[in-house]
Amino acid sequence: MSRFSGALQLTDLDDFITPSQECIKPVKIEKKTTSTTGSKIKIQEDGYFQIEEDGSVQKLQKVEITLADCLACSGCITSAESVLVTQQSQEELLRVFEENKRIKLDGTSAAKLIIVSLSIQPILSLAIRYQLSPNDCVSKLAQYFKQLGADMVVDMTIADDFAILETQREFIRRYRATETDGVQNVLPMLASSCPGWVCYAEKTHGSYILPYIATTKSPQQIMGSLIKDYVCCNLGNRSIYHVTVMPCYDKKLEASREDFFSEETESRDVDCVITAIELEQMLSRDGIELSSLDNGKLCQPWISKESEVSPALVKHIGSGSGGYADHIFKYAAHELFGQECDSLEYKNLRNPDFREVILEKDGKVLLRFAIANGFRNIQNLVQKLKRGKSLYHYVEVMACPSGCLNGGAQVRPKEGRTVKDLVIEVEQLYSSLPCHSPEDSKIIKQLYDNWLGGQDSDKCSGVLHTQYHEIAKIPNALNIKW
Amino acid sequence: MGKLELVQSLKTDSGRIWNVSWHPKGTALASCGEDKSIRIWTKDLRGKWINKVVLTDGHKRTIRQIAWSPSGNYLASASFDATTCIWDKKCGEFECNATLEGHDNEVKSVAWSSSGLFLATCSRDKSVWVWEVNDEDEYDCTSVINSHTQDVKKVVFHPSDNFLASCSYDDTIKLYKDEPSEFEWICYETLKGHTSTVWSISYDSTGTRLASCSDDCTVKIWKEYPTGFPPGNGGPTWKCICTLDGYHDRTIYDISWCHSTGLIATACGDDCIRVFKEDAGSDSDAPTFSMVTKEKGHNQDVNCVTWNPEVPGLLASCSDDGDIKLWEFKK
Repeated sequence: MSRFSGALQLTDLDDFITPSQECIKPVKIEKKTTSTTGSKIKIQEDGYFQIEEDGSVQKLQKVEITLADCLACSGCITSAESVLVTQQSQEELLRVFEENKRIKLDGTSAAKLIIVSLSIQPILSLAIRYQLSPNDCVSKLAQYFKQLGADMVVDMTIADDFAILETQREFIRRYRATETDGVQNVLPMLASSCPGWVCYAEKTHGSYILPYIATTKSPQQIMGSLIKDYVCCNLGNRSIYHVTVMPCYDKKLEASREDFFSEETESRDVDCVITAIELEQMLSRDGIELSSLDNGKLCQPWISKESEVSPALVKHIGSGSGGYADHIFKYAAHELFGQECDSLEYKNLRNPDFREVILEKDGKVLLRFAIANGFRNIQNLVQKLKRGKSLYHYVEVMACPSGCLNGGAQVRPKEGRTVKDLVIEVEQLYSSLPCHSPEDSKIIKQLYDNWLGGQDSDKCSGVLHTQYHEIAKIPNALNIKW
Repeated sequence: MGKLELVQSLKTDSGRIWNVSWHPKGTALASCGEDKSIRIWTKDLRGKWINKVVLTDGHKRTIRQIAWSPSGNYLASASFDATTCIWDKKCGEFECNATLEGHDNEVKSVAWSSSGLFLATCSRDKSVWVWEVNDEDEYDCTSVINSHTQDVKKVVFHPSDNFLASCSYDDTIKLYKDEPSEFEWICYETLKGHTSTVWSISYDSTGTRLASCSDDCTVKIWKEYPTGFPPGNGGPTWKCICTLDGYHDRTIYDISWCHSTGLIATACGDDCIRVFKEDAGSDSDAPTFSMVTKEKGHNQDVNCVTWNPEVPGLLASCSDDGDIKLWEFKK
């Protein structure tokens, strides 16, 4: 069973004409001399050998395909899964932990500072798996990562807050651009935090859909910037290895995007993404009973190096995928129409994963928002857009059915339980958390001032926003036969 | 023994013909192929089948299959250009008024449910999609099912209920049902037994038996056991109750189970059409079938055979040789 979201599982791999064509990335071979007869290649068990004209044999290099190659190709995506296994795996994570421990012991060179950022969805998934309260689960996970060698474990809510505040303002900008300046192709604004959806849109719908997708970075990548830019700077430019704990494999693809690679530090904003299901495997392999661990604390290195707190998890209003639709709706109703909405009433459309909510005044629809989860609803949304039949101002799009709480790499249900039951349980646990409003966060206000130079600064748009790239389809010569 | 008598040969000069489909009333035949067009054939006053309509400009690549809706008002076409077109006659002439996009690559097959409310498509991208027709003649995707592991060759709906079957290059047949509590179609059964690509499947008139044909040169008959197998042991399941082996020398590309006569016709890579008849009095849990005729129908691979839904014994076939032929089965 794939741990990618459904949107990324459709592949372009096999056909009866071209059996299992895996990857078409060309190999570059350094040629010493130009041969007129061409070269012979001999295949042996341990590799491919090129036979030179003088009879000497040279072993050919195996092609290394990076995740970045995969993302730049219009072809298959699941073959990226094997690439991920080597570049963003638990093994790689453990290797980094071990190496860093050794460096610390040797004291020969500067050890890295390892920071682990926890997002809410995998915490809840693991809390249910190990029958812990959400806050206990975070404490134990913090302790577990510290035992492995992490220097700091942090809560990603701060990045969720940034993402919400930035998308709220981005929506108002887009709405006004349409209303007052008649700008096309900016509404409906489509959510940007789901990398499965973004990747699918880039590969399949290209320039048509991309202008609609919000430029605001996802919480994971905002966290990446906060850690690698602000925190790094505040800690005297220490070299940081940043790990995130996320609900799906698609986040590994996101972390690997070239847009999130810094030439300056020669590292990615997020170095390694680990998921709930992988953590479950790590714990079980190490024979660790999560509940038996001591309670660890969370760090807040954006406040100070020493700041440590006991976990106090919160939820946002709205969906468990970040609550974007609800936040933007309320904010827009207030900012644009001076209306206050206390509770939003969604109407289910074709299925519970496609819901809409409207703001009406005097029989006129002022705002029409929707939440579309899962691949089939993405299809229906995209087709509506293409036919010019979308009436929406904003759509919260997530590739997984039920959204991020049901991410592709959340812990699987136990024998005899259905995914549906488990998702309901995760949703209930999420809604039991105390509610938090990003507007009320003092630390966010300080960070806007101290880190970003204000809410409308160039740095703000540079650091908290990103861009998307159309990936042109490469026609495969083997299947243009008909 | 019986025989297939040629009623008429319909020449097209349009290259390989992939598929032919009878109008539900049996009064028209649609054909499609590599020339990217759809042809509709009807009888003229003298009783000859003639090509009345050619539909073009719907697709950019080969049209692999066409299907009439149960009402006969719509025609769906599945193409290697990754789209499915829906043609209707609202303005008098057939026009393409909806294009279903979403498959990643070649669409291999399309089918309508008996109610006309659902449409299924399948593709080389390994997925089966179910679409629901809504009031405004729009098609909403209700399910994307990724249960096959390879190219999906064919989708076929149950003759009267909301069940769907598909077959694939992964050698299996999968059965699906509408699960209203999940708002989705789900795969509830996988039929394993063929040792190579299953090219086509066909339900009998009751929907309790299914015939399949394969690259392994066999035809298999599958039966539903609503109370488990052996009966009374658990929930519904499907079992292979008969394998027709030794009759075909090449890949069998298509199979059609006649709902009025019970005859089974096959389209084979050896250019022949074969007809099988269930032996009188054969055991319903282990039936036997006899080949009642074998006819070298074409000069190249036979791609499709289909029994007329209203005229018993009238069979249409088409081939790589570019011909469409109409046959009458005579005892």
